[in-house]
Amino acid sequence: MSLTILINGILIGSLYGLVGMGLSLLAGVVRMINLAQGDVLVGGAYLAIVLHNRLGWDPLALLPLVAVIIFAAGYLVQRFLLNDILRAGSFAPLVVTFGLSLVLESVYQEVFGANSQSLPAAWGDSAVTVAGVRLESAYLVAFAVGAALTAATWGTLRYTRLGRTVRAAAADPGTARLLGINVERVFAVTFAASAVLAAAAGVITAVAQSVTPTGGLSLLLFSFAVMAVAGMGNVPAAFAAGMLLGAFQAVSVAVLGSGAETLAVYVAFFVVLVIRPSGLFGTREARLT
Amino acid sequence: MSVRSGILLGVVLVAGVAAAGPLSAANQYTGVTILTAMIIALAWNIVAGYSGQLSLGVAAFVGLGGYACGLLMAHAGFGWVTAVIAATGLSAVFAFLLGLPLLRLRGAYFAVGTLAAAVALQAGAQLWTWAGGGSGFTLPIDGLPSSVSLLRASVVGFALALAAVLYVQQSAFGLRVVAVRDDERAATGAGISCLGHRLAAFVISGALTGLAGALVALQTLTVSPAGSFSMSWTIDATLYVVAGGIATIVGPLIGVVLVYVVLTQELQSLGAVSAIIEGGLLVVILRFAPAGLWPAVVRGWRLARGGRLARLVDARPGPGVSAKVGEMLASRATKEPR
Repeated sequence: MSLTILINGILIGSLYGLVGMGLSLLAGVVRMINLAQGDVLVGGAYLAIVLHNRLGWDPLALLPLVAVIIFAAGYLVQRFLLNDILRAGSFAPLVVTFGLSLVLESVYQEVFGANSQSLPAAWGDSAVTVAGVRLESAYLVAFAVGAALTAATWGTLRYTRLGRTVRAAAADPGTARLLGINVERVFAVTFAASAVLAAAAGVITAVAQSVTPTGGLSLLLFSFAVMAVAGMGNVPAAFAAGMLLGAFQAVSVAVLGSGAETLAVYVAFFVVLVIRPSGLFGTREARLT
Repeated sequence: MSVRSGILLGVVLVAGVAAAGPLSAANQYTGVTILTAMIIALAWNIVAGYSGQLSLGVAAFVGLGGYACGLLMAHAGFGWVTAVIAATGLSAVFAFLLGLPLLRLRGAYFAVGTLAAAVALQAGAQLWTWAGGGSGFTLPIDGLPSSVSLLRASVVGFALALAAVLYVQQSAFGLRVVAVRDDERAATGAGISCLGHRLAAFVISGALTGLAGALVALQTLTVSPAGSFSMSWTIDATLYVVAGGIATIVGPLIGVVLVYVVLTQELQSLGAVSAIIEGGLLVVILRFAPAGLWPAVVRGWRLARGGRLARLVDARPGPGVSAKVGEMLASRATKEPR
């Protein structure tokens, strides 16, 4: 197994970090798991493909546009659907997001067909060689986007007024409400941000690899694995855990061959979940930032 | 279990077994499909409804039951009856081994853990070349049951599942399972083993789902990773129970009839659109009628009957409109002599 495979695995793993970070943020603040998180990633990819066909922009220029659209959609979904369902307890949101996942997968299949699709980029096939290691630009971009969004999420939570509001609502929704924080709006913003993290990962995934309509399920498990390793709400740890997962996947492909690698990742995930349900770095309580 | 439940089970068994004979082969096939779906729905309801743990691992047990039954018949020379019984037992053992670590997890962690187990088993079956790998294998043709026998076996399986749910609904054991669901801390305080009761519910449910999986394998004559471990088993179980009424006995059965007869049969030609409707239905039901269809029907019936029951229903805090309707119906019912 060469160093190239390992490093490319780590770089692409930063995208797992992003989508897992979204899941983890939502779990930490809203105390809800979005079982359609993987399908949001796939949705971001398809949205970018559609916009690319219409506008012909570079994927990196499409990224902010996709982010705005997904943010608006996510905000509305949480505000007008999920916030109401949250009041029914912890069971109902799981079933509802499971239903949404089914709807999204079927819609993708109807609209885009069952074959995998990818997003062309001028820089998509280029690569640089550093110290004998061939690094594809798409993977480097994945890492750059991952690191930038991680820093932005972390900085927002830690240093801005919005971040303090989110942390207050996460720590104690009741008290936050008494202090005049609109908790429902905070939840909607959090869900929207979580969706944007996934969708951004989706756009880059479509450039670096490809997406299929039914790819959401395994991506959900990957992002859940990231959260399980990093601990709920821990943003930098989620990024690190994503890269760890990417490395693990790359190593298992190289050692076991593709096919067996899926099994290896799921079994490893299962073991981590059972041994350390609160995460390898985490405590039982959700911590933000 | 009460005498009434015993009589009910006896009637279901005798009537089901007797009615199986005269049916046409096509109807016998449909009967097996509906009954196995009902077994799966009743089983899922034990874990999700009464024990309050969302299991997304239904496909794991359907697949396991099917593979166990098929492999035992093909390679160990088991007859189909013993193979089905052994598959049920193996599913119970598997549920115990899987539940032991997973049931320490709560809510979403348990849900995703069961999902991961199902996907891992599917990936494992794909790699298992001895069991046919990705394309699966066909059951040995000489040991198969006739369609009447298979339908009768399904009736017996259905009666077993019904007995399990009646037991959970009526026994002290079931009361403890529900207590663990509703308030873990209070249940622990009352000396109830939370893990033990969750595990018992999970094992009963897993065994019944494995039984249904074995019957499905005997019906479709093949097992494969894509079919036996398909996510659609999990999706369907969830939809049946949520649509019909979670944590009720009749709800899941109504859910099967409704979803199978109305959706699956009528919308089969529409392909992916039917999946969109199924998923959308889950969302809509939980948004507007989270208790499901059957509790709504019961409530309407009680209101229509009027009298003390209607006032009882009316007294419960609920949405304004239906409370007003209840008030109206109750006052009319008490004024008008019957």
